[in-house]
Amino acid sequence: MSSTEQGTSSAAPAEPTTAPESAAAPEVPESFYYVHGKDKVVHKVSAGALQHSALIHGMISNLGYTEEQAKANPFPFENIDGDILQMVVDWCNQHKGKPTPPEDTNLPKQKEKLFDLVLAVNYLEIKELLTYCCKQVAMMVKGKSPEEIREIWMIPTDAEDEAAEKEAKKRAGKEAAGETAAAAGDAK
Amino acid sequence: MKIDIDILSFPDEDLQYAINCMDICDLIAFSLRSKHTKNLVKSSNRKIESSSVYIYENHIRFGITTRISKNSYAHTAMDLFDSYIKLDDRSGVKYWRKEEFTRNNWIAHLLDIFNHQSMIATLAIENVSLSYLDTVKQVIPKCNSLEIRHTCSDDVAKMAFFKLSLIVVQSVKVRKNIFRKDNDISKFLTPNLKYVSFDDPEYPFKLISDDLLTLNSDNLSIEPANITEKELNKFLKLWMKRNHTFYRPKVIELFLKNGTEIDEEEVFKGVKYEAKYDEQRLKRRDGKELDVYIAYNYIKFQFK
Repeated sequence: MSSTEQGTSSAAPAEPTTAPESAAAPEVPESFYYVHGKDKVVHKVSAGALQHSALIHGMISNLGYTEEQAKANPFPFENIDGDILQMVVDWCNQHKGKPTPPEDTNLPKQKEKLFDLVLAVNYLEIKELLTYCCKQVAMMVKGKSPEEIREIWMIPTDAEDEAAEKEAKKRAGKEAAGETAAAAGDAK
Repeated sequence: MKIDIDILSFPDEDLQYAINCMDICDLIAFSLRSKHTKNLVKSSNRKIESSSVYIYENHIRFGITTRISKNSYAHTAMDLFDSYIKLDDRSGVKYWRKEEFTRNNWIAHLLDIFNHQSMIATLAIENVSLSYLDTVKQVIPKCNSLEIRHTCSDDVAKMAFFKLSLIVVQSVKVRKNIFRKDNDISKFLTPNLKYVSFDDPEYPFKLISDDLLTLNSDNLSIEPANITEKELNKFLKLWMKRNHTFYRPKVIELFLKNGTEIDEEEVFKGVKYEAKYDEQRLKRRDGKELDVYIAYNYIKFQFK
């Protein structure tokens, strides 16, 4: 269709925007996609639930997979633990098409799980869940002393930071020296 | 899979968000762990509504007020000692130790992590040693309001007034009669301040007209002032005569002893004025005006 034709057709009298109820379009069946984590366990998730993840939503938006194609091509997230991915999938299903509540009490309380969840959620770009997780992380140190916070969050001391910095500088120096030597060798 | 992670390995944005979710005490505790955590707290730019510092002989009480929601505020107070902080909140008394920290280090740390010194709304001096006042001045470069408490000795109160009024942005309140054992009180009235008040229910502040003429602050309040109607009258006459002479004060408020009633006739004897509502207006030839309001033991001079 040429641009002129488009112009002509758009100038035509407007069609009624609401069709009679009996003629309403049948509901489009929900499409599903498949994801798996490091444990290779495949999870079936609806496109609606996956909308929470900006990363996955961007990946699937132009695919137009059939059910079979989607099943045959699960999205691999090898950097995410199976149980963590399960949590993420559950959360996306629970909050599918719903406004997110101000608090979420179903998040894991164990430190390691929560940290892993933050990383996974950050990677999958699920903003609301990330907000909950970060709040939960902050709550872990509520009322704790500086020493307790250090233990809970594994914060290095200044001396450890300095030692790590020295080590990094030393390594960088060695690498630079190696590169210079290699470049000199190439020149010969 | 076990990911061995500490919070500092969080992506920057997530780490900053987690820090933003922390309450003020947790944030301070976190900042005390290392230089790195201190810088993280600093860069979070946490907003403080106001803060107060009370200087005692052996410790400093530091109070912080933060806004929780539009009309709701939270107040946190902690006592800073050499080598430890004492916190008393709903969950009980807690002690945070940092052996190398003196009271001054604690204050410097707290001011630093919240990024601006002007947040100190009130600096109050209780009875401390004279020599400590210099330290206070070093540690707290600026405050909005200085309060010299009645617990101070005469010497400390006087010295605190001279040394610390220099760091004050807004007001100085002296809750002790520092004029009492001094023949020349003009030196307490000449500093250039926005607002200065003296009150000591036990010892009235003795004043004469010349004292009021030496005043160099915008606003002065004295309670109770010990001044006669004759001196007030003399002050009005001298002010009228000082045409084209700059006089800085805008408002002077004097509260005489309870039960005293100021005799208006005595105050305005021989002074030309114009009655205006419940005030009397004096006009100088140079166009300057002075409204005088008297009610029982209270007299207010408003210069225009």
